[in-house]
Amino acid sequence: MSLLEVKNLGISFGGLRAVQDFSLSIPPGGLFGLIGPNGAGKTTVFNLLTGVYAPSDGTIELAGRSLVGLRPFQIAEAGLSRTFQNIRLFPDLTVLENLKIAMHLRGRHTLAGTILRSGHFRATEADQTRRAMELLSIFDLTDRADAYARNLPYGDQRRLEILRAMATQPRLILLDEPAAGMNPAEKLALAESIRRIRTDFGLTVLLIEHDMTLVMDVCERITVLDYGQIIAVGEPAAIQKNPKVIEAYLGEVANER
Amino acid sequence: MGEGLEQLSHVSDRAGVGAGMIPRWVAPCVVVAFAFVMYASGGFVGDYASRVMLDTGIMMIAAVSLTIVNGFTGQFSIGHAAFMAIGGYVSGWLTYYGLLATLGRTTDLGAEHGWLLLPAAIIGGLAAAGAGWLVGLPSLRLRGDYLAIVTLGFGEILRVLLQQTDRQRFSSQEMSEVGLLGLIVPPDVGGASGFESIPKLTNLAWVYLMVGAVILFAIRLKYSSYGRAMLAIREDEIAAESMGVNVTRMKVRAFMFAAFFAGVAGTLYAHQPGTLLRPADAGYARSFDIVIMVVMGGLGSISGATLAAIVVSLLNVGLLELADYGAMKWRMPIFALLLILIMIFRPQGLFGLREIWDFFRSRDRTGGGR
Ligand SMILES: Nc1ncnc2c1ncn2[C@@H]1O[C@H](COP(=O)(O)OP(=O)(O)O)[C@@H](O)[C@H]1O
Ligand SMILES: [Mg+2]
Repeated sequence: MSLLEVKNLGISFGGLRAVQDFSLSIPPGGLFGLIGPNGAGKTTVFNLLTGVYAPSDGTIELAGRSLVGLRPFQIAEAGLSRTFQNIRLFPDLTVLENLKIAMHLRGRHTLAGTILRSGHFRATEADQTRRAMELLSIFDLTDRADAYARNLPYGDQRRLEILRAMATQPRLILLDEPAAGMNPAEKLALAESIRRIRTDFGLTVLLIEHDMTLVMDVCERITVLDYGQIIAVGEPAAIQKNPKVIEAYLGEVANER
Repeated sequence: MGEGLEQLSHVSDRAGVGAGMIPRWVAPCVVVAFAFVMYASGGFVGDYASRVMLDTGIMMIAAVSLTIVNGFTGQFSIGHAAFMAIGGYVSGWLTYYGLLATLGRTTDLGAEHGWLLLPAAIIGGLAAAGAGWLVGLPSLRLRGDYLAIVTLGFGEILRVLLQQTDRQRFSSQEMSEVGLLGLIVPPDVGGASGFESIPKLTNLAWVYLMVGAVILFAIRLKYSSYGRAMLAIREDEIAAESMGVNVTRMKVRAFMFAAFFAGVAGTLYAHQPGTLLRPADAGYARSFDIVIMVVMGGLGSISGATLAAIVVSLLNVGLLELADYGAMKWRMPIFALLLILIMIFRPQGLFGLREIWDFFRSRDRTGGGR
């Protein structure tokens, strides 16, 4: 059985069909890619899956449970987490606090426990700190735990966003262009980390990437969007040769000129 | 992974967050200050000085509580005085008519009635929190700055409604003539001429006990899972919701906590010696003072709001002293100018989100930041 099952998803903004007839099935432990030229509707798909936008049609199921109509925090609770294309950290809070906020949904306290600093409260806080430090060690960020998120270099901010998404203890994680703005060496390291995250944490990953090489390198299966519609689905090698895909990307190059 | 675990020992001494976040010297300072105030309430300082300290303390409670909404969740409430008024009127009604019915008088009370302030403050706080829930729920559901408009409107509506209340009753005989229901609908709290002779239960000890309570509450909230969820909303609402924070619920809770302590502050104000509670107390003029304190202190800084409350209160006293020279007409221009200067030179307020003690940490540990 698949972990994520999306069928005929669609949304319109005014007259614009931003996404149409989008279907996707990801098995547990899969590492899938979603690519397409700028403005194809990739981020919109993520916003639909995470409840930021309400779909005008289609169904979304995570492990058999429908996510349509749930609010974003409920979807996070259900086990689906994400990063944002335009980084959305909590800039004036520390790295540690950024991670602990994402743990809020699995470790809440009563108000009384919070104000009186109950034993349970202190135990949970300590446990959250420990888990946050463990997460930070994935990207060698442990010594930045007390830094304000706004002061991290750009690449580290992207990495912190991935860790923050992992801190919600998701089953499926959606990464929106995590390599944007990174140099080739950093991209290579990131690809390695994404593979590690999947195996070490038993996560399922859906990756949006504008840069073809990275996606081809890490993903098992790729869905290609253009103008809100799926134009190809398949393994990296086949996608690379698909004439429709080449045309879509060539068109983009032509437009940019 | 190994390196991460090594780092753990350095972090785990702080793991109990809250207590560990605040350096050791803060608590003794607070205790010394509190002891001084207690001593002062025993007659060490004169009537005038203790009056100033009462007013300042009440404003500290108001400012710190508003910090929970405007500072933590990043919403903008500009009607905080309305919740003070609700707390003051509700608790004042209870203690005034309660004592009138049982003792036959509300003045010349002995020390044995001092404890009444505690239940009065709790009920005043709960009434204000209830009002906060009613006012907050519809506007906090929506994204955007609706709260400012709604809270401003609420204060003005409340002010007008309070003007329409019935005249005050001054004897238990009058009370029995109108009956309990008559005292409640509409409440006999004096309308435009004000509500007077409320039992004088407020003293410095009570005020600064409540100041301590609200500061402790706010600090422990700020350094907890609960408070961090609120701060996340202020930082980025969409990210907060996507990371599992129930944004609407947290906003409403923050608003109710703030309203509760505003109700407590209002109760203390109403039971101060020599207070005439007036409908204007609910209006924007007073709310504006509280907003200035929170903005000046730095949205989200508890110590900043506390300090700003002291500065603004003392500035008010100073201007009042110079009233003979026409200083009062300069009050609003001075505050407006102050606010503009802060907005230009330090838009995040004196301390921003930070606390005073954060500035004593090494830059290295905090990685700079504002
Ligand atoms: N909230 C919105 N309102 C109107 N149009 C939108 C909105 N979000 C996305 N779009 C439009 O939908 C299309 C797809 O955008 P997006 O999903 O961001 O593309 P991609 O992530 O593939 O680059 C674009 O034409 C964009 O302008
Ligand atoms: Mg995008």
